[in-house]
Amino acid sequence: MQMSRIGSPSVGMDEDSGAGHALSDFLLQLENYNPSIPDSVVAYYLNMAGFESQDPRMIRLIALASQKFLSDIANDALQHCKMRTSSQINQSSKNAKGPKEKKYVMSMEDLVPALQEYGISAKKPHYYV
Amino acid sequence: MTENTEKPESSCDARRRILNIAVSTVLLETGFESSDRIALETLTEVIQCFFTEVGNSAKSYCELTGRTEPVLGDVMMALINMGISVQGIEQYAARPKRHVIQPPQQASVPRT
Repeated sequence: MQMSRIGSPSVGMDEDSGAGHALSDFLLQLENYNPSIPDSVVAYYLNMAGFESQDPRMIRLIALASQKFLSDIANDALQHCKMRTSSQINQSSKNAKGPKEKKYVMSMEDLVPALQEYGISAKKPHYYV
Repeated sequence: MTENTEKPESSCDARRRILNIAVSTVLLETGFESSDRIALETLTEVIQCFFTEVGNSAKSYCELTGRTEPVLGDVMMALINMGISVQGIEQYAARPKRHVIQPPQQASVPRT
């Protein structure tokens, strides 16, 4: 997406203003929308940071954005997990138990590179049990 | 999401527990079957930091313009400045089979 914008800056600008309009329309839709995370929980953390809004739609927008962010990270981690497990299966294909029973477990091994892509450096502490 | 360890320390913070549930929900939706405890806690910390950072940043943008109540533009600026993509947010909102977590029960404050 970044590349296409570089290729045609004028189109990118148009897209941006279009997205802005769409978002203010979208905000109106949020009136009757319930994100997964309850408003009160999000509002609590926002208030902790000094953000105080009477408009619940704003809080819902932030809740949605956070969820999408998390979902993107989780998706990346899943891809890492799939790649890692598939290479392991290829290595140990001699004693194959059937590739059907695949259960993906979110582990730090997959999470750390996924977070790294989003600019978050996480390290597994040695003492955490 | 299978988790067999007890959570003595998180039981004291209801909000954190709800964030934990939210993270687990997202992970389940993504296609994970289960999660390591440490990964779950890391993601919970990430989302908590996200809220704090967005709140802080949006408040700053709002106060920079001399207002006291944040508007949509402030939140958008905060999100964009943090590098969060807001492109597919509408599609994400309309995804099927989404799970809504019940808000925590409000305990009535005893009058003294």
